[in-house]
Amino acid sequence: MTTRQEQLYRQAGDNFAPAIARLARAVERDPEKAHDLEQEIHCAIWSSLARFEGQSALKTWVYRVAHNIAADHVSRSVRRPRQVPLDEIEALPAAQNPESEAAEAHALAQVAELIRKLPPLDAQVIVLWLEGEKGTDIAQITGLSASAVSVRVHRIKALLAQEFALPEIERVES
Amino acid sequence: MTKPPLPAWCDAAPDAAFTDPVDCAAQASKFERTVSRRNLFEYLACAFVIGVFGFGAFRAAGDGDTLMAFALLSTVIGAVVVAWGLWKRASNLVRRAEDACLVHLRRQFEHQNRALRAVPLWYLGPLVPGLALFYFAEASGVAEQAGWLAGIEEIALRALISVLIFAAIAYLNHWAAKSIERKIEELDSLA
Repeated sequence: MTTRQEQLYRQAGDNFAPAIARLARAVERDPEKAHDLEQEIHCAIWSSLARFEGQSALKTWVYRVAHNIAADHVSRSVRRPRQVPLDEIEALPAAQNPESEAAEAHALAQVAELIRKLPPLDAQVIVLWLEGEKGTDIAQITGLSASAVSVRVHRIKALLAQEFALPEIERVES
Repeated sequence: MTKPPLPAWCDAAPDAAFTDPVDCAAQASKFERTVSRRNLFEYLACAFVIGVFGFGAFRAAGDGDTLMAFALLSTVIGAVVVAWGLWKRASNLVRRAEDACLVHLRRQFEHQNRALRAVPLWYLGPLVPGLALFYFAEASGVAEQAGWLAGIEEIALRALISVLIFAAIAYLNHWAAKSIERKIEELDSLA
């Protein structure tokens, strides 16, 4: 491991470890498997940083690795829910823990449930949007066109508006 | 970065930290061990086929049944080709997770598509000559005593079932490859 790689890894850890933990927990319901996935993402980031030469922002690089590893994890899962494209979902799916005491926690569990039901790219856009990433950054990370990101963000916003008071969505510039 | 739309979402896991690089090295070797173990089982299955059919070929040659010996030897060669195909495909996996998610997903689909399309060529094809020769050897053995009609009757049902199984495997793989191609087209329209 080079010093530069170590520095970048530490920098990525300081800035993105919580977001990666949330991503792992969103795509994997089983806490133990989510922890394993989180570690797998860390290690993929660690080894990928040996190839990092500033081709993109560190954030873009880290999120790409994290989301790609998470998507690979979902595609490997034998017992995964049937995937439904975002435009076919009318309302948030029921969470696995309906007895959840706090209404907001329950609604967040529903969001996680929705993420698990979506095809990888739809899920990636939603998680990045929930992390507060701009549309242009989401487009750069996912490789989707700005309009494809915009359409997905508006769909998820419409879905979530039924449960939460949301701020106005930033328009994605092409 | 904008203001997160659901602040409660971003409040989760505030204490999360990256894994120690030393543990990453250990995990990488654990992953490599898992892959090696999986590959080992596949190679052992091939070795079993090679051993059993090789021994059968040896016995058949000793009994003077040259055609059957040749059929079993062809199956052995077929199993070797399948094992080589497994090794070649397993060695081709390169992970570049830093590519844009769309590119990464497309590459995964392309990889699956290639593997599925190639199944008749590297998985079924190498076993066909051995199987065909095996049935031919059996039919000709019966034909020597009771004529070719009886020989063909002897193997017809089993040969038909074998052909149907091979055709079904080829069709299912072709169908799966077509559905993946549609997914690739959908991805391309999103770029």
